[in-house]
Amino acid sequence: MQQYLISLLIFTPLIAALLGIFIPAKLVPYFKALTLFANILQVFFLFQIFNSYESNGTIQLIEKQSWITINMGSLGILKAEYFVGLDGLNLPLVALSVVVLLIATISSWTIDKNVKGYFLLLLLLNAAIIGSFTALDFLLFYLFFEFMLLPMFFLIAMWGGARREYASIKFFLYTLVGSIFILIVMIALYLSVSDPSEPGRLVHSFNMLNMADSTRFISNTILDPHNTWMIGPFPARYCAFLLLFFGFAIKLPMVPLHTWLPDAHVEAPTPISVILAALLLKIGGYGLLRIAFPIFPDAAMHFSWFVGLMGVISIIYGGLNALACKDLKRLIAYSSISHMGFVLLGLASLTTEGVAGSVYQMVSHGIISAMLFLIAGVLYDRTHDRTIENYSGLSTKMQSYTVIVVVAFFGSMGLPGFSGFIAEIMVFLGAFKSNSVNGLLHESLAIVATLGLVLGAAYYLWTLQRMFFGPFHLKGGILESSIVDLNKREYIMLIPLVIAAIFFGIIPQPLMDIIDPFAKHFSEFVINSGKSLTLNP
Amino acid sequence: MEILSDKLELIRMSISFFIPELILSIGILLIILIGLIKKDNLTILSFFSLGILVLSLWFGIIQIRQHVLPINLFVGMIRVDGFSGYLKILIDIGTLLTVLMTWRKQREQKHLPEYYALILAVVLGAHLLVMSMNLIMVFLSLELISISSYLLAGFSFSRKGSEGSLKYFLFGSVASAVMLYGFSLLYGLTGSLDFSSFMHHQMVKDQPLFLIGGFMALVGFFYKIAAAPLHPWSPDVYEAAPMPIVAFFSVVPKLAGIGILSKFILTVNIMGQSAYPWQIIICIVAILSLTVGNFSALWQKNVKRLMAYSSIAQSGFLLVGVATFLPQGIHYMLFYATAYMIMNYLVFIYLQQFESCGMHEISSFAGIGRSQPLSSLFLLIGLVALIGLPPTAGFMGKFFIFSSLWESYQLSGQPILLWLFIFGLLNAVVSLFYYLRIPYYSFIKSGESNIKTNILTFENLLGLILVIGVLYLFFNPGLLMGWINKINFAL
Repeated sequence: MQQYLISLLIFTPLIAALLGIFIPAKLVPYFKALTLFANILQVFFLFQIFNSYESNGTIQLIEKQSWITINMGSLGILKAEYFVGLDGLNLPLVALSVVVLLIATISSWTIDKNVKGYFLLLLLLNAAIIGSFTALDFLLFYLFFEFMLLPMFFLIAMWGGARREYASIKFFLYTLVGSIFILIVMIALYLSVSDPSEPGRLVHSFNMLNMADSTRFISNTILDPHNTWMIGPFPARYCAFLLLFFGFAIKLPMVPLHTWLPDAHVEAPTPISVILAALLLKIGGYGLLRIAFPIFPDAAMHFSWFVGLMGVISIIYGGLNALACKDLKRLIAYSSISHMGFVLLGLASLTTEGVAGSVYQMVSHGIISAMLFLIAGVLYDRTHDRTIENYSGLSTKMQSYTVIVVVAFFGSMGLPGFSGFIAEIMVFLGAFKSNSVNGLLHESLAIVATLGLVLGAAYYLWTLQRMFFGPFHLKGGILESSIVDLNKREYIMLIPLVIAAIFFGIIPQPLMDIIDPFAKHFSEFVINSGKSLTLNP
Repeated sequence: MEILSDKLELIRMSISFFIPELILSIGILLIILIGLIKKDNLTILSFFSLGILVLSLWFGIIQIRQHVLPINLFVGMIRVDGFSGYLKILIDIGTLLTVLMTWRKQREQKHLPEYYALILAVVLGAHLLVMSMNLIMVFLSLELISISSYLLAGFSFSRKGSEGSLKYFLFGSVASAVMLYGFSLLYGLTGSLDFSSFMHHQMVKDQPLFLIGGFMALVGFFYKIAAAPLHPWSPDVYEAAPMPIVAFFSVVPKLAGIGILSKFILTVNIMGQSAYPWQIIICIVAILSLTVGNFSALWQKNVKRLMAYSSIAQSGFLLVGVATFLPQGIHYMLFYATAYMIMNYLVFIYLQQFESCGMHEISSFAGIGRSQPLSSLFLLIGLVALIGLPPTAGFMGKFFIFSSLWESYQLSGQPILLWLFIFGLLNAVVSLFYYLRIPYYSFIKSGESNIKTNILTFENLLGLILVIGVLYLFFNPGLLMGWINKINFAL
C-alpha cells in the first residue's frame, strides 16, 4: 500500500462516486455517509503519507505509469504518464485539501435538494482537486485542472443563491479562458522538450520536472532558451510565461482578473464557497510555483517586478473593496483577493523567506478562509440575510459564535499568534530582502503592501463593531427567534480550524520544516537558472 | 485493339478493389425495388439498408487491412489508399448510425424506400469523392452527393423543408458552377485532368491563373464542408430537414469534402514549392469558420440551427488539421474526424429523442434533467466533448491538431499559423457558452416536463456505446492513432 498512497487519495472519492451512481436517489442518508466515509478514508491515507514522508527537499512517494504513448512519425513519440508525487510544496496543500473537504462534507449536511447529484459532484470535485495538486505530468495536471470546472459549475448553478446562473457561467468562462492560455503553452512546451527516458529516440513527454531543466529543450524550437524566437516584438519565452501567469492569475485571482470571485462566492452554497476559497484559489498559486516559475525562470526574473506589483495592487484593491462591502460574504471574498496578493508578492521576491511565506500563506489562508465562509454560512442558515448593517450586538445572543468570529477575523487580519501572521511576516521579510539579495523587487512594494494590513484591521474591526458589539437589534425583517448560538455540527466544523489557525501561528516549525527545503531549493533554482539563461541566451 | 484490351483488362482488375462501391450501387437499386414490392413493411427496408452498409463497411475494412500501398483504378480515375479507405469507413459508420436513428422513427418518415436509396446514393458519392484522382471524377461524385442531398433536405415535406431544399439547391449549383469553371481553368493550363500530375507542370508554379483556378475549385469543396464564408445555406437546411438527415449532413458530406480538399490542396501545394499562398487561404477560411460559426451560434434559440453553426465551427477545426500541411496534421485531422463523428452522433441521437417529445427550442429543454437524467447526462457528455474539455475525445482531437499546428508554425514561422492557433483555442471559450445552454436549461432551469422515464431504451444503449467511445478515445488515444499512423499518406 505504501507506494500507492497518492493514488488511493485520488481514487477513493472516484470509486465512492462510482458506487454512488448505483444507489437509488431516494436513500438520502447513504450519500452523506458514503461521502463522509470517503473523506475519512482520505484522512487515514493522509496519516500514512505523513508517516512515510521525509522532509528533505526531494519529491517522494512517486508513482509513474505509462498512460498515452503515440508514435508521431517524424515528430517523435508523444508520451504522457500517470506521474504523481509529493514534495514540500504540495504536501501541505494536499493535507489542507483533505481536511477542508472533510469539513465541507460535514457542512453539506443541510443540503436537501437533489442530494444524490450534489454529493456525487462533490466527490468528483474532491478527486480533481487532489489530482491537480499531486500531478507532475502536465497533461495529467491539465486533465484534473479542467475537470474541476464542470462539477464546480453545476454545484454553484444548481445549489446556489438567487443570481447563481450568472455567477456560475461567469466563473466557468473566466476559468476556461485561463485554462486555454495554459493549454496553449502546454502544447508549445511538450513539443519543445525531449525526454531522456528512451535513449536514441525523440520523446516528447509532459514531465514537468523535465520541462524545468533548460538543457532538455530541443535546439531551435520556439521555446528553446538559446533561441531568440520573437513573437511580434516579444521573445517567445516571455509570451509563454505571461500566458501561464495570466492563466493561473485568473484562478488565484489577481486584480484585475478577479471579478468572477465575489459573484461566485456570494451565490455559491456555503460548503462550495469554502472549497472555492480554501482550495481552488490555491491551485492558481500552486500552478505558478510548480509550472510557470521553474519552467521559465528567465522570464520569471524578468517579470518579477510585475508579479510583485500586481500582488501589491491586489492587496490594496482587495482591501479597499472589502471596506466598502455591505454583504458579509462579499467582504470575505474581497479579503481573500487581498490575501492572495501576498502569495504573489512573496513569490515575486524569489527569496527563501518570500517563497516559504507564499506557501505558508496559501495554507494559512486555506484554514482561515474556510473558517470565515463557514461563519458567514452559520449566519445565513439562520436568517437568510448577510447584510452587515442589518445586525447589531450579536455578541449578546451568540457568545460562542462571537468568540470564533473574533478568532477568525483576528487570524485573517494577521495578528501575532495566528497562522496568517507568520505567513505575512515572511512575505514581508522576503520582499524587503529581495532588493539587496537579488535586486528583483524594490522595497517600496513591501512598504505599500503593509497598508494592506491596516486595511485588513480596518474592515474586520469595523465589521466586528457593527455586527457584534453595541446594543442588540436587528433590521430587515429578521426574526429574533432565529438568532441562536452554534449547534454541535457547527462546532465540529469550526473548532478544528480554530485550533489549526492558532497552532500554526504559535508553533510554525512543523509546517515550516516541510516547506523550507522546497522554498530554499526553489528560490535558488529559479535565480540560478534564470541568471544563466539571461546571461547566455 | 491491343490498347483497348489492355484497358479492359485494367478495368476488370479494378473491379475487385471496387467491391464496397458495387455493393452500394446494387443496394440503391434493390432498395427501390423492395420499396415497390413491399411498400408497407418498413422494417425490412431499414434492415436491408443496414445490411448493405454493414457489407460495404466489412469489405472496406478488409480492403484497408490488405492493401497498404495505393492502387490506381480505372485508368487513374480513382485510387484506393489508406487515407480514402479510412474516410470510407467513417462515412459508412456515420451512415449506419443515421439509418439506426431513422429506424427508430420510421413510421414518421414518408417515402422511406426513396429516402434510404438517396442516403445510399450520398454514401456512394462520398466513397467515390474521397478516392477521386481526376477532376471529372471529383465533379461527378460531388454532384452525386449534392443532388441526392438537395432531395434529402426536403424530406420533411413541409413548407420550410422545401424552402431549405431550394436554398440548398440554388447555393449548391452556383458553388458547383464556380468549381467547374475552376476545373476548366486548371485543365486549360495543365492539359491534364489528373490532379496528381499537376506537380510536374511548370505552369503550376508561376502562372497566376492557376491560383485563380485552384481557388475556384476550392470554393466547391468549402461549400460542401460548410466552411465560412460559404456556410449560409446550412442553418436553413438543418432547421428544415429531419433530425437523422441533419446528423448525416453534418458528418458524411463534410468528411468526404474535407477528404478531397486535403488531397487537392496538398497536391497543388507541391510540398511547399508552390509560389502561391495556399496555406494562408486555408488558415483564413479556418479562422473565419471558427469565428463565424461560434459567434453566430451564440444567438440561436432553435436546437437544429445551433447545431448547424456548431458544425460550421467544427469544419474550422477540421481545416486546422489540413492547414498544417504536414502528414502528421492529416493524421490528426483523421483522429479529430473520428472523434467528431462519435460526439456529433451522440448529441443528435438525444436531440432526436427529445425532438419527438416536442422540443425544438432550447428553452423547451427546461427541467428534463430531472425527468430524464440519463439521457440528459449523455447529451451533456456529447456537448462537453464538442466544446473540447477533458476527459473526452474532443479534447484529445483538438489537442492533437493544435499540436501539429504548432509544429507547423515552428517549421515555417508563418505568423498566420500562430493566429490560427490562438484564435482556434480561444474559440473553445465562445463555444462553451452556447454548447452549455442545453444542459443549462435541462439541469438548472426548473420547468415542468411530463415525459415518461424509461432508462432501458434503444437510444440509451446506442448512447452508452458512443459515450464509452468518447471517453475511451481520451484515455487511450494510442490505439486509434496507431491505426491511423499506419496509413501511408503518399500523394
